[in-house]
Amino acid sequence: MPELTTVPKPRTNPSSAPSEGNPEQGLSFERISHAYVAANGRTPVLDNVTFSVMPGQVACVVGPSGCGKSTLLGLAAGFIRPTAGVTRWKGNPVESGANPDLGMAFQQPGLFPWMTVRQNVAVGLTTRGAARGDARRRADEMLATVGLAGFGDAYPNQLSGGMAQRVGIARALALRPKLLLMDEPFASVDAFTRLKLQAEFKALLKLDRPTVLFVTHDVSEAILLGDIIIVMSARPASVEKIIPITREDRDRAGPGYARKMTETLKALGVETDLSHD
Amino acid sequence: MTDRTRISRVVLALLGVAIVVAVWQGMISYYGLQRIVLPTPVEVASTLGGLFVSQSFWHDVLVSLREFVLGYVIGGVLGIVVGTIIGERPAIRMVIGPVIEALRFIVPFAWIPLTVLWFGTSLTGKVVLVAYAVFFVMVVTTARSIATVDPTLSRVGTMLGMRPLAIAFKVHLRAAAPGIASGAKAAAALGWIAVVAAEYIGASAGLGVMITNASMSLATATVIGGMVVIGVIGAVVSWLVGYAARVWLNY
Repeated sequence: MPELTTVPKPRTNPSSAPSEGNPEQGLSFERISHAYVAANGRTPVLDNVTFSVMPGQVACVVGPSGCGKSTLLGLAAGFIRPTAGVTRWKGNPVESGANPDLGMAFQQPGLFPWMTVRQNVAVGLTTRGAARGDARRRADEMLATVGLAGFGDAYPNQLSGGMAQRVGIARALALRPKLLLMDEPFASVDAFTRLKLQAEFKALLKLDRPTVLFVTHDVSEAILLGDIIIVMSARPASVEKIIPITREDRDRAGPGYARKMTETLKALGVETDLSHD
Repeated sequence: MTDRTRISRVVLALLGVAIVVAVWQGMISYYGLQRIVLPTPVEVASTLGGLFVSQSFWHDVLVSLREFVLGYVIGGVLGIVVGTIIGERPAIRMVIGPVIEALRFIVPFAWIPLTVLWFGTSLTGKVVLVAYAVFFVMVVTTARSIATVDPTLSRVGTMLGMRPLAIAFKVHLRAAAPGIASGAKAAAALGWIAVVAAEYIGASAGLGVMITNASMSLATATVIGGMVVIGVIGAVVSWLVGYAARVWLNY
């Protein structure tokens, strides 16, 4: 199993795309501008955003609240059409409608309240043609991974917010997506569980090496999980800075970690030096 | 619910009934009312006892129930179908919406003279009227429930690989079920009222006919007994619909 590094290594899976490392095969945003139009006027959220995520790369997006981070995910998923510019996945413009490569964990988990937790995780697999038994086994496996073994028969309204969010993550990962979009997936999970989930998540990424766009407002999470950090400016947002992360940078006790943390926070415009107090 | 609260609820409910009966009896004694104006509770009870063993009474009940069930099912299904289409397609809502809004305020009872003209005293007229009453409640609640489904659920459906038609039926309609069920309960009450009202005006059998006939022959106890039966059946029907919804939507 290859270690996760800045430059994606070929997949261990022999059926992997031959053009690893080619941005044409990953996810790219090309001069994207987007505005939401409502009765009370236009709200521009993205202004000329351009960046690419290589196949198998994990890009973490950080930025001020309301800067359009979720809009980026909506564009990548095909839920939103940009006002200007093109979003491409594997070189083709993203269309609305189902994308068989896609898995997404939403900020509001969006579980179907009439289905059990297990059915919620399995339904995407059966929709995509998996046999019921296989889907069920895979669902139980993923639920165990996110620490919810034994909750398969519960209904979503019996879960806490953090648990529901974990089901949402399990549902996305169960699909073994080639393009994984995550919208602050650990936001309502408690701090200890979050650390555990981040480690599990990293291990899972090594298995399938999906291309990941991960929105977070937690800079330490971005350093821990990302190969690159996309720092967005305030609304209407453009790309402020793209910060590469190496394996060494993820050592919280090391100098790289502190350096990347400072660099990211500075790009976000956050004053962090309180040493003169 | 503990046994204790269950018992106290029954006691309180019986107390309410007892107060009504006491006031009823008290008015008769105090004002010296004629039996023809207001029979005593005991008289009504014994009349009801007589009705329960009469075949024509059960025939009337069955006629009314059949009209109700047919109209309820037809109006309910049509209402859910049209409501779903309106909820899913804003363009269609623009076309049908105003028509429905206008018709909605022509209460079912305003249609009774027309249904009598068109269908006479037949079953069809009553079924149409009930279906009409139920239809509008269901259209409005279905459309509203579908329009207010959490948009994240639609995106989840797309993400999971569902096609638009599957999202409409398996996500939107399913997510709207609790709202539709509460509409179904309201529609049951309204539909039952429509049956009785239609029978008062033009029908050859049914509870409404039984009561109007009793009224014309000054059998006041039968009139009141019939009203009690209507109330009880209405409450049971409404409870059944609510119970079915609770069992089905048990999550």
